[in-house]
Amino acid sequence: MRYVQPELLEHLASSYVLGTLTGGARRRFERLQRDRADVRVLVTQWESRLGQLAVSVPVHQPSPRVWAAIAARTQPARPQRAAQAKAGRLGWLKPAGFGFGGLAAGVMVATVLFVTAPGLFMSSDQIAMRTGEKLPQSYVGLLTDAQGNGKLLVSSLRHGRTMTVKVIGPITPPAGGTLVLWAVPASGPAFALGPVPTSGSAVSMLPDTSEKLLSKVGKLVVTLETDAAPAAPSGPVVFSGNCAKLW
Amino acid sequence: MTLDTRADSRSLEALIADAARGDHACFAEVYERTHRHLFGVAVRILGQGQAAEDVLQEAYVSIWKSAGSYRSEVGGQTIQAMTWLIAIVRNKALDALRARTRRRENQLPESGDVDEDDVQSVGNPAPSAMHLLEQASQALHIDGCMSALDGSYRQSLALAYYQGLSHTEVAAQMGAPLGSVKAWIRRGLEKLKGCLAAQGVVA
Repeated sequence: MRYVQPELLEHLASSYVLGTLTGGARRRFERLQRDRADVRVLVTQWESRLGQLAVSVPVHQPSPRVWAAIAARTQPARPQRAAQAKAGRLGWLKPAGFGFGGLAAGVMVATVLFVTAPGLFMSSDQIAMRTGEKLPQSYVGLLTDAQGNGKLLVSSLRHGRTMTVKVIGPITPPAGGTLVLWAVPASGPAFALGPVPTSGSAVSMLPDTSEKLLSKVGKLVVTLETDAAPAAPSGPVVFSGNCAKLW
Repeated sequence: MTLDTRADSRSLEALIADAARGDHACFAEVYERTHRHLFGVAVRILGQGQAAEDVLQEAYVSIWKSAGSYRSEVGGQTIQAMTWLIAIVRNKALDALRARTRRRENQLPESGDVDEDDVQSVGNPAPSAMHLLEQASQALHIDGCMSALDGSYRQSLALAYYQGLSHTEVAAQMGAPLGSVKAWIRRGLEKLKGCLAAQGVVA
């Protein structure tokens, strides 16, 4: 099945979040979500909508056992636990019964295999990315302020339709207007890529794949605009930087 | 002491960001602020009991592990931390509910045998889910907009959302044809989207 129709995707996303998408269809949609950033955006939007309905759900107090169990599973190892681990360090070597020792041994064997023969698990490109020899094919921009301080990191996978804007230096939220990110092609007019967060990171949808939009773009700028959706940059340039291709 | 005051004044979003960096005290504060509401969501779907507590536990372990994947903005839209947390709990509760249904379907039916898990869902009749939808609609100021929908549309949506019922279960509970229920819920979701957008709650 090809998932290209926007209405179908919208319907699947809403049914998935509501919970009425069940069985194999639910699992297929979960896989689709992992592979497609545009589908994740749709799901997030539906989570926002349906999450609002939870406002009327009565609160309940769980047993204190719940937090104790969560804390035990999430807290970094305490000194006494480290001591216990030390005492039982050789336990996993015992062949009898296996149980946790067997599980640990299995994990170790798998880890060793993963490290020594990663080709069994991943493609050569994935291995290269994992070992740091290679980065995924993408468009990347580093924007700085007038003093050269790094402010924003913009990235989009080569054939992806989403763009991530990550704040890497402190940004003072503008008192009036909004910060808008623009792509400036070598020839032709600049076009808007999306809004700019003032902290954390933001993911936004692109109207087309980054390959089509950004292959001729050499420069990215952020301007301060009074209009929420300006057609062309008119405000002052706040940050700027080059847009590079990683191949 | 100072740590507590600092945590008190901080937003849930900021606490999750620090939890993502491994700050367990901030994670504990996230739990403190949100667990009653999130447990309410799980109880609503699974009933009060061990299953809901197990789901809550799994949900928070998952929140701790995936705190770094929370995005405050997606597609130009602000995503509240609570939205993200509710989605995690609801998905786990729905999985548990479907697994329970599958287990039951695989068992041989025995007459007069009442499953303990059933007690709570029997105690949550349809009007209650409908009542919650009405309350939520009022709180969100979309009650006028949503009332344009026929009652059965709203009821099927309410049963699916608040009880976590599948299409078949909603149809059985309402005594309506499956095809109608599917269409009602789809239409109900579209209407909800329109009403929330008109109110400026979610695009």
